[in-house]
Amino acid sequence: MKKRNAFQHEEIFVQFIREQKERFYLLAYNYTKNEQDALDVVQDSIQKAMLSLDRLENVEYMKSWFYKIVVRTAIDFLRKHKRLQVTDDDTLQYLTPAQEDVYENVDLEHALEELPLMYREVVILHYFEDLKLADVANILNIKLSTAKSRLYKALKLLKIQMQDVKGETAHG
Amino acid sequence: MDEKLQQLEKQYNEIPIPKELDFVVEKALKQGKKKRKNRAPQWLLGSAAAAMLFTVSLNVSPAMARTLSEIPVVGSIVKVLTWTEYEVKEETFDADIKVPAIENLENKDLANTLNEKYRSEGKALYDAFVSDVQYVKGQGGGHVGIDSGYEIKTDNDQILSIGRYTVNTVGSSSTTMQYDTIDKKEEILITLPMLFKDDNYIKTISENIKEQMREQVASDPDKVFWVKGGGIPDEELFDDFKAIKADQQFYISDKGKLVISFDKYEVAPGAMGLLEFEIPSDVLKNDLVSSKYIH
Repeated sequence: MKKRNAFQHEEIFVQFIREQKERFYLLAYNYTKNEQDALDVVQDSIQKAMLSLDRLENVEYMKSWFYKIVVRTAIDFLRKHKRLQVTDDDTLQYLTPAQEDVYENVDLEHALEELPLMYREVVILHYFEDLKLADVANILNIKLSTAKSRLYKALKLLKIQMQDVKGETAHG
Repeated sequence: MDEKLQQLEKQYNEIPIPKELDFVVEKALKQGKKKRKNRAPQWLLGSAAAAMLFTVSLNVSPAMARTLSEIPVVGSIVKVLTWTEYEVKEETFDADIKVPAIENLENKDLANTLNEKYRSEGKALYDAFVSDVQYVKGQGGGHVGIDSGYEIKTDNDQILSIGRYTVNTVGSSSTTMQYDTIDKKEEILITLPMLFKDDNYIKTISENIKEQMREQVASDPDKVFWVKGGGIPDEELFDDFKAIKADQQFYISDKGKLVISFDKYEVAPGAMGLLEFEIPSDVLKNDLVSSKYIH
């Protein structure tokens, strides 16, 4: 009855993708930092996932299974396009909300971006995508202990960064 | 959750979602479903009904009767020509679908089977394009394109290999390639399994391709294949390429070499595009039934 399982998986998968597509896009965007490339990654990931859907044993694993594919596809993509990511002024302006008075937030805004990818991805998957640390470790192909230490380091970095920023504004 | 984290999450979630996302996702799901179905072997052999449909549409449809261009074929009777062409050109929608047809095969069953396959697949592509356009229009616009046609890979005294390609553009593009190879003398369609004594060819060819992949990665670090040693650390490999399908897409080159073809995403990241591997005939000689086609 493997075939039937596969078809049931397909229905669940299609529904899952439709409901969560914006989350996948955000995750892909976090790697590519470019709209078109993020769309490419989402498309690649869905196709790849559907081709290996039969090998997904349990639908309960679908979420972390698919996130793993998205992460890997995005990293593949970065590897293939090793280049400096330059954002043009228009995009920059568009992405930066018009905040006139709250200077702290402007700096906070870059806090996540300035975090090295290895820490950033742990924060995003664990806090923003609500994945258990064990799943995060599985998705990123790292040990649970590594995931933990990266998360702590990330929080530490974020705090330090923000405190520094506050110190600066207070003095300046 | 920490207040700062909440703020960061809010920013993360506020990244604008492009309106093409819906369409890209639906398209990928649709193509994915199709690919899954294609995995099941389903070779439509020309039934009487198909043959009848073919004859009827030939007489009824003016588009079918339009013969646009003839591919010059030197010194042989069997010909491939553009049977019909669908063309749409609007601001952000364009389609160009060329449907090939094979002429002058004595074996009418074979000719009809192939031509009917080409015709119905061409029509299906066009129908899918039309429904995509309607969908995109309903979503407020976007770019949709399809470009399908064929190329003659080999045409000599013995072999005719036709490759039909389809490039689907929605934001980004995907490409697929399908081959048919005909023995012009015997007038038979050549399949991959029939070239070999037994199933061992799958292993022989797969191993050779993996070797070629690794060699390519070694000489050009920009290349990536989903194979061990293919430019991705082993622990990041996921669903790597293990073996070709028994009926993997292939053609026979003019020099009598076997060329194995992979679609985008089949064995490498999409950016690697369509891939072809020529298998050295030496490697195959123990598995081949004869050296008639491949030498």
